[in-house]
Amino acid sequence: MSLDLQKTAEKIRLATFKAIAGAGGGHFGGSLSIAEMLAVLYFEVMVIDPKNPDDEKRDRFVLSKGHGGPALYAAMAIRGYFPLSELEGLDQPLTKFPKHIDRLKLKGIEASTGPLGQGLSIACGMGISFKQQDRSNRVYIIIGDGECDSGQLWEAAMTAAKYKLNNIIAFIDRNNCQIDGTCSEVMPTEPLVDKFTSFGWKAFQADGHDTDSLLSVIDKAKQVKEKPSVIIASTIKGCGVSFMENRYEWHSGKITDEQYKKALADLEARL
Amino acid sequence: MNNALAQVKEVYGKTLVELGDRNTDIFVVEADLMKASGTAPFKEKFPDRHINVGIAEQNLVGVAAGIAATGRIPFACTMANFMSQRACDQVAMSVAFNKFNVKLVGCYAGLTQEKNGGTHVSVMDLAVMRALPNMRIIVPADCHEFEQAVTAISEDAAPTYLRMAKLLPNSIFGSDHRFQIGRAYQFEKGNDMTLIATGLTTSIALAALPVLRKEGISARLIHLPTLKPVDSEMIVASARDTWAIITIENHSVFGGLGGLVTEIVTSEYPVPVRRLGFNDQFGLTAGLDFQLTYFGLTVENIVNNAKELLRKHK
Repeated sequence: MSLDLQKTAEKIRLATFKAIAGAGGGHFGGSLSIAEMLAVLYFEVMVIDPKNPDDEKRDRFVLSKGHGGPALYAAMAIRGYFPLSELEGLDQPLTKFPKHIDRLKLKGIEASTGPLGQGLSIACGMGISFKQQDRSNRVYIIIGDGECDSGQLWEAAMTAAKYKLNNIIAFIDRNNCQIDGTCSEVMPTEPLVDKFTSFGWKAFQADGHDTDSLLSVIDKAKQVKEKPSVIIASTIKGCGVSFMENRYEWHSGKITDEQYKKALADLEARL
Repeated sequence: MNNALAQVKEVYGKTLVELGDRNTDIFVVEADLMKASGTAPFKEKFPDRHINVGIAEQNLVGVAAGIAATGRIPFACTMANFMSQRACDQVAMSVAFNKFNVKLVGCYAGLTQEKNGGTHVSVMDLAVMRALPNMRIIVPADCHEFEQAVTAISEDAAPTYLRMAKLLPNSIFGSDHRFQIGRAYQFEKGNDMTLIATGLTTSIALAALPVLRKEGISARLIHLPTLKPVDSEMIVASARDTWAIITIENHSVFGGLGGLVTEIVTSEYPVPVRRLGFNDQFGLTAGLDFQLTYFGLTVENIVNNAKELLRKHK
């Protein structure tokens, strides 16, 4: 186990929870499920420089599920883009930290997202541009599993395959929950591995809460020639907070003082 | 001056090749309508900067946004109705909200769809684009101005909607006409009435001026190739000088040129504004001349409206 990375993920998770709770509630579930992916990307995999967020050589990260903003902010803060204390501004009037990320408000955000299903097209455009210039920048993207309901995602999936965008590594945050119920109830999208494979992608599976599992799969994805890669990362919506785990109701919501204490105890015990 | 109608796609394709030659950041993005947009010469010359995503307009706009995110300059084209309707959310979110430097080109705009019929006539693209923050809107009136506009917007780092009629006159302005983003152009100095037109209808309004003069009406024409940011000063000044306005557009009278002019004058200097265009109607299946007549976008209808307006209000 890469203990440091796993620990970093837990720190991201705790900071994410505190920020959302501090804002009076928000999208707990899908923010808590992506902490390990963000830890791996921001602390190990991506070529980035928090002191120079416009660096031409940087890899790009697109958070297609824009409501995961709080987790991204927590990861960026802990990585050194800005002080963690600034997350108190989450969702406050005129904030730099709206829950749905806004690139015009915060340096280091590559694309504003919120309405779902649009991120992969943007990632394709980035990948096409880098490839055309033989640049080595990679494009990483986290897509919600509920987003796989959206037609545009599959339009973009075909485009990535057509243009052989092996500089794209996509993660599906497979927590099997969306707003109105489980993904299997609302709109079954399985088998995702087969779907992406048939769309011309190299598809991998990983334990989305195990940083070692993610790292080893990313290493394989980087070796893929002529194809984009997708990592179907099995995750738990609301991961780390016992009463939120696997409960689609916690896609977004408010918590009571009692719940807050319980959640904090749960998350601190994981550090 | 050469009033004969020409295929605008030839100008678009040729201009992009010239720009692509000078600037290796220029990309063309298509959604299986290269035949309509005329970018085959660009594809031939710069195949690795010519992207075709198939019949997928939402993805077209998103891919262009991603190319712009890396500091390059994509020209994404599809029919004006698809750009503003099918891809509306992507235009709003992936482009305008992000302020990505994407050139959105809506081709075969309005009635120039001709026999493709009502399903394809863009009646509301200007209304949609006008309502979007951060979006510039350019509607050239002839091929010469169109060519200048393509070059100008390539040098202006802002999300832009370029409305591209299938057919436009070759050249209706003098050779000294210089298109500038945000600038309006006045023709003649008449003080009885102001005609305001944009795109295809500017040539019709221009042709109405001498007929009006014969009728004893001294009119001026404002050609508005940029609807956003708009030169409202010239419009307000003309409202003061002439006290009556007719707008003429190849678009619904709701939310496009007529809507724009009405909004400006009602808050600055209210005068009667007659709006000629599609009056709560979809387009139809017919050649251009038939459609222009059907929707009242003719010299005759402009003159009749001018006479009536003056009789009623002066």
